[in-house]
Amino acid sequence: MKRFIARLLLTAIVTSLPLSVVRAQRSAAPETLIRNATVLTVTHGTLQNTDVLLRNGKIAAIGKNLNASANARIIDATGKYILPGIVDCHSHSMLDTINEGTLAVTSMVRTADVLNPTDPDLYRELAGGVTTLNLLHGSANPIGGLNTVVKIKYGRPASEFIFPGAMPGIKFALGENVKRSSNPNLPGVQRRYPNTRMGVEEVIRDAFTRARDYKRAWDEYRAASKNDKNLIPPRRDLQLEPLVEVLEGKRYVHAHCYVTSEILMLMNIADEFGFKVKTFQHVLEGYKVAKEIAAHGAGASIFADSWAYKIEAYDAIPYNAAILTRAGVVVSMNSDSDERARRLNIEAAKAMHWGDLTEEQSLRLVTINPAIQLGIQDRVGSIEVGKDADLAIWNGHPFSVYSRVDTTFVDGEIFFDRQQDLARRAELAAERAKLEQAEPNKPPAQGQSPQAPRRRPRGHVDDDIEIDQP
Amino acid sequence: MPKVRLRLLVAASTLLLLISVTIAQRNAIDTYAITNARIVPVSGATIDRGTLVIRNGLIEAVGANVTAPPDARIIDGTGLTVYPGLIDSYTNLGLPEPSPSPAGGGGGAAFFLAAPPRPVGGPNSTQPAGLQPEVMVEETIRSGGTEIESSRNIGITAALTVPRSGIWMGQSALINLAGDTPQQMIVRSPVAMHVGFTPLRGTYPGSLMGVFASLRQMMLDAQRYRDSMQIYDRAPRGIRRPEVDRSLAALIPVIEGRMPVVMLANSEREITRALDLGTEFKLRLIIAGGRESDRLTDRLVKQKVPVLLSLNLPRRTTAAIPEADPEPLRVLRERVEAQQTAGKLAKAGVRFAFESGSLTNMSDLMVNVGRAIENGLQPADALRAFTIWPAEILGVENQLGSIEVGKIANLTVTRGDLFDRNSRVAHVFIDGRPVDLRPAAGGGPSRISVSGQWTVNVNLGQGDTAITLNLQQEGDRLTGSIAGPLGSGEISNASITSAGEVRFTVTVNVQGQTKEATFNGRLENNQIRGSVTIVGAAPGTFTATRAGQPN
Amino acid sequence: MRFLIASLLCAGSVFAQQIGNPTTQEGVIPPRGIFAIRNARIVTVSGPDIENGTVVIRDGKIDAVGADVSVPAGAQTIDGHGLSVYPGMIDAGTNMGLVEVPQGANGTVDTSEVGELNPNAKAIIAVNPHSAHIAVTRVEGITNTLTAPTGGLISGQAALINLLGTAPKEMALVPEAALVINYPRIGGGGGGFGGFQQQPANLSETLTANERQVEQIRKMLRDAEAYGRAQDAYAKNKSLPRPDRNVVLESLVPYVRGEQPVIFRADREAEIRGAIKFADEMKLKPIILGGDDAWKVTSLLKEKNVPVILTGIFSLPSREDDAYDVLYEEPAKLQQAGVRFCISTGDAGAEVRNLPLYAGMAAAFGLSKADALKAVTLYPAQILNVANRLGSIEVGKMANLVVTDGDLLEIRSHIKYLFIDGRPVVLTSRHTELNDAFKNRK
Repeated sequence: MKRFIARLLLTAIVTSLPLSVVRAQRSAAPETLIRNATVLTVTHGTLQNTDVLLRNGKIAAIGKNLNASANARIIDATGKYILPGIVDCHSHSMLDTINEGTLAVTSMVRTADVLNPTDPDLYRELAGGVTTLNLLHGSANPIGGLNTVVKIKYGRPASEFIFPGAMPGIKFALGENVKRSSNPNLPGVQRRYPNTRMGVEEVIRDAFTRARDYKRAWDEYRAASKNDKNLIPPRRDLQLEPLVEVLEGKRYVHAHCYVTSEILMLMNIADEFGFKVKTFQHVLEGYKVAKEIAAHGAGASIFADSWAYKIEAYDAIPYNAAILTRAGVVVSMNSDSDERARRLNIEAAKAMHWGDLTEEQSLRLVTINPAIQLGIQDRVGSIEVGKDADLAIWNGHPFSVYSRVDTTFVDGEIFFDRQQDLARRAELAAERAKLEQAEPNKPPAQGQSPQAPRRRPRGHVDDDIEIDQP
Repeated sequence: MPKVRLRLLVAASTLLLLISVTIAQRNAIDTYAITNARIVPVSGATIDRGTLVIRNGLIEAVGANVTAPPDARIIDGTGLTVYPGLIDSYTNLGLPEPSPSPAGGGGGAAFFLAAPPRPVGGPNSTQPAGLQPEVMVEETIRSGGTEIESSRNIGITAALTVPRSGIWMGQSALINLAGDTPQQMIVRSPVAMHVGFTPLRGTYPGSLMGVFASLRQMMLDAQRYRDSMQIYDRAPRGIRRPEVDRSLAALIPVIEGRMPVVMLANSEREITRALDLGTEFKLRLIIAGGRESDRLTDRLVKQKVPVLLSLNLPRRTTAAIPEADPEPLRVLRERVEAQQTAGKLAKAGVRFAFESGSLTNMSDLMVNVGRAIENGLQPADALRAFTIWPAEILGVENQLGSIEVGKIANLTVTRGDLFDRNSRVAHVFIDGRPVDLRPAAGGGPSRISVSGQWTVNVNLGQGDTAITLNLQQEGDRLTGSIAGPLGSGEISNASITSAGEVRFTVTVNVQGQTKEATFNGRLENNQIRGSVTIVGAAPGTFTATRAGQPN
Repeated sequence: MRFLIASLLCAGSVFAQQIGNPTTQEGVIPPRGIFAIRNARIVTVSGPDIENGTVVIRDGKIDAVGADVSVPAGAQTIDGHGLSVYPGMIDAGTNMGLVEVPQGANGTVDTSEVGELNPNAKAIIAVNPHSAHIAVTRVEGITNTLTAPTGGLISGQAALINLLGTAPKEMALVPEAALVINYPRIGGGGGGFGGFQQQPANLSETLTANERQVEQIRKMLRDAEAYGRAQDAYAKNKSLPRPDRNVVLESLVPYVRGEQPVIFRADREAEIRGAIKFADEMKLKPIILGGDDAWKVTSLLKEKNVPVILTGIFSLPSREDDAYDVLYEEPAKLQQAGVRFCISTGDAGAEVRNLPLYAGMAAAFGLSKADALKAVTLYPAQILNVANRLGSIEVGKMANLVVTDGDLLEIRSHIKYLFIDGRPVVLTSRHTELNDAFKNRK
């Protein structure tokens, strides 16, 4: 107990500093005590009948019979499970636009510029226990735009979503999407280079060669300008700067890929230019080159069992996670789909079904492993004292198809609660009734026809190579 | 260079005004006195009964005890109220119609890939059209036109004219809405740099992400261009000559904070992005549109960012059809909350000015101000947002925006309170001269009626397609519907001017795609002829023939 | 586990060598015989669970089931200790066998005929028995699919197949199981099953266009009705002029007479109501496929006794204001309202193996576990009118059985044995083979 209090104090001191700015908003419930849950810590096994105390946005304590302050929110989780907030290492949620597909290299574009914090799918993902997303540029080009790692703070401005301290990343893409295999050959329209996997290699090699020269030019300028004030500086090039960061190991490469040849190709380029591919995304044939991926030190962020949706996916097998994991690769299960993101718990459980990974190995696929892949493993991905209070309470084991989420916390605050959701439905209906009576919402006597309803696409997105509408 | 040009312009226009006294054929008398009127100077206390003297295009005197000079033409202001001339702070007034896109009118891929109306581009630019900050509207402004007329009819005397499209859209000018030549109209140019966030099609930047990257890269390039030029100018010997670049040169006053940048942004996240970009490059930012700007008042006040607030308040335009989905709560809320934005901005101390937001029916403008007032905006603030606030935000507060001696005599004179629904605009003075007003809103262009059923031959480059058009006209309000091979639906944004210019928008179905088509034509001899503009397609023509006489 | 069944099969002398690589053409399917699964928990679905019992399979059928059933002489036995026996699962809304790779390989796609009205396009003609999807799916316990064409207004006829066989004919349970009609959509498609359908975005226009399309369907069905009457009249009275045969109209006759079900793809409320009204008018036997909005139409569905094949459980809600769980909890709502339904993936093929997860999600959101199981076994059998042959473990039914080490719907469970049509099926697929080929690569 003493040790416990000491730990509490320590975490309180450590955590209170950076959070002081936002603390005021949390005053409603500075503390939450979740009692008597089965805690799937991921990194330290499963704890039965255990309490978890959340304070100031952090996990303040884990143990039996914990005490909380008088105004703490107490949640009885008897018979329920606590899982760390799920980390989805491949998402396009909350992006107003996914692809800048006009050029083969678009490292100057940033997903952070086009975040839509009001995307309703974010809430649906929270309801599936997801708390962190890796928002990636699409796969229209060999070198795509910069990623954004976010916490799903639905209802807040986009700036509050940004995951502090996450490693910056960039999207690469290889294979059919880059070749634009599914784009029609329109008469009079010049096809964009590249058109083959050979050309993809060429584009990436050329970009890194330019980036290396760019860095050299700046280094030379900085050295020379100390003595000569009349030097014109090199042009700052937003396309090449992120690639320099990749070369310097300051930016992670997340590379969409499918087949053996392109996986090996990118690792060869990376070795040659002296950087690491942080994750291969999708990497459906990863199981064929598991040892090479492990040797390179890359992670794999994959689908559990999607296959045959296009030619390069025909050799996909649901044993991919197991083979890669056993080869020593850090593997995560991602969604690449606002729909699938809502049930990543089951996607992870599939690794127990196909390939017989252990429960802990499988739990890691959507928690600590993707956190490692994003450089946020010290903050999220497991239930440990001092980590961010990003977690969900499930009404059963999250690997059971019969389970669902009761409550999802981000930074210790409730962002989804099923009971609140059910209670709010009547309020929303009342609000709607009232709003529909408001003058600007009344249909005019002679109105236009409304638009025909559109159904949202379901399931697999595969990075969307659709032409973005402005 | 812009500063010099500005001064020259101001000087030139002043000079022109002086000269015009002698050369103007229309109206030789240039001294006026409005007597016995209620005068609302905005800059000071209201004068319940006073006289205002106009001479040489300027306000010469104003007050309760001012006497009309003997040479003045007297306007009896009994029962009238004199306001500073209203300013519309974001328009395309005076600009030619958008140039048609070059693509052919075919269907299929060509249709799909056809560019939207191309931004106007300058010659010898290093940048593609749409990324040319050097574009200046003062070079393309034309005098006259029915749009200017309908703005004046509701009391607008000056307007900021902004390039129609683009990412770097170009530089705006503040114009008076009267004058025989563009030179006479321009009050100040350039006023601001304008930024829109619409991607280019088929070329970089083709997405919103790319738009931001382009904006950043060009501002960085402009910094380097300035620095390079300075270094080169200091000691050119031994330095390779930097290439001249008009686009980058045009951005230098922007990145140095000397020229304000107006960014089009309506939703909370659009405004946030604009504010972030403004902070990143230390820009003198102005938000235009601003529908949800009330959600960001703290930042707007802190960063001293004013808003050109659109009065194009959203409202439901669609009929109730049982098969339709209920409208999203988000949309329902937006429409209600948009009415409250102005009031909230005023309360929070955000500087703002009204703009018409491309309302096609200008008579809705005052109706919408009324809605803002009903939703918490003080009438006095509503008046300021049409007068002194836009003048301050656009840098013409020494010339316009209030009734003070020495300012330009732009005046809006009404019978009844300006914002009263039953009030009418009695007189409009621009540059000290009365402007001919068409019958005010409500009265409508009574001589003309387009009511009735029309057979319309539409030519989109593939031969004629005959459709039926039904029009109902009440005053200058126009409603109706189309039916036929292009689909059926109600027309919207419809207007008819006294000159017989008919304009409406309707959803059409072309090649299996649903498109917004804007019809723009003129009534002559029981026929309406004009052009059809479809976004993303080559323009077409139409001829409408009336089936029978109007009833 | 494959080792287990292999050794089991070796014990039976006849067919051990004949079981080849199921992902390549083997030519011969495993023979029927006499099998007994002993000491197993038997989930009959139609009746109470038998905690410790025996199922006997003989000549393709379930011969006996119960706690006290004895193992017949000559039977090959499986020790079911710790295992559970379930009826095979049925997915009533797929294109199984009609498409191998939907994108970039048109040659492998046989789902949509040219034109709007193709009642004579029969899925059973084109089902590829050697599609990799079939083995991949069956080894997860799905033994049957309704395989349907998708194109135009009248897509064609769906086939109910066993996921085992070397020729379509061997696979077919009901080769012409239902007519499939795409009821004109009022909104953009986007469902995984129907594929993308270009729609004008203006609702009034869409409704007008839909009316015309319904009229097209109506006309063809009326023609078929008249055709059937003319042929019947001639059969009875040869003195009448002999009417020409017309294969297209002829194929419609059992459907317009209400002898066979007509599946209407319909998701939105207006589409479902329209389909039911149309079926009423034409006196058809309708089934709704899709049914995202069926929860809004429960009283009508119940009144008209129209069943629904739900395919939207793993779809995002159609509308931004919809509750997050609107499609998760739809089965529970239909169950409470007394509407007949079953759960389907609505998928072309690759995802069909996840059928149990769809049912599990429904159970997580209000449907009882027992009903969730029925929704992928007995209910689809009933809706497709084959409950006398499939959907539960009852004597006399076809021996389509799955033996698991846990709850059939739970992803953590594994399939241990599989019987289709009373034949023991090796649990290999393209995926297990690729796994075997690469898992030990060093």
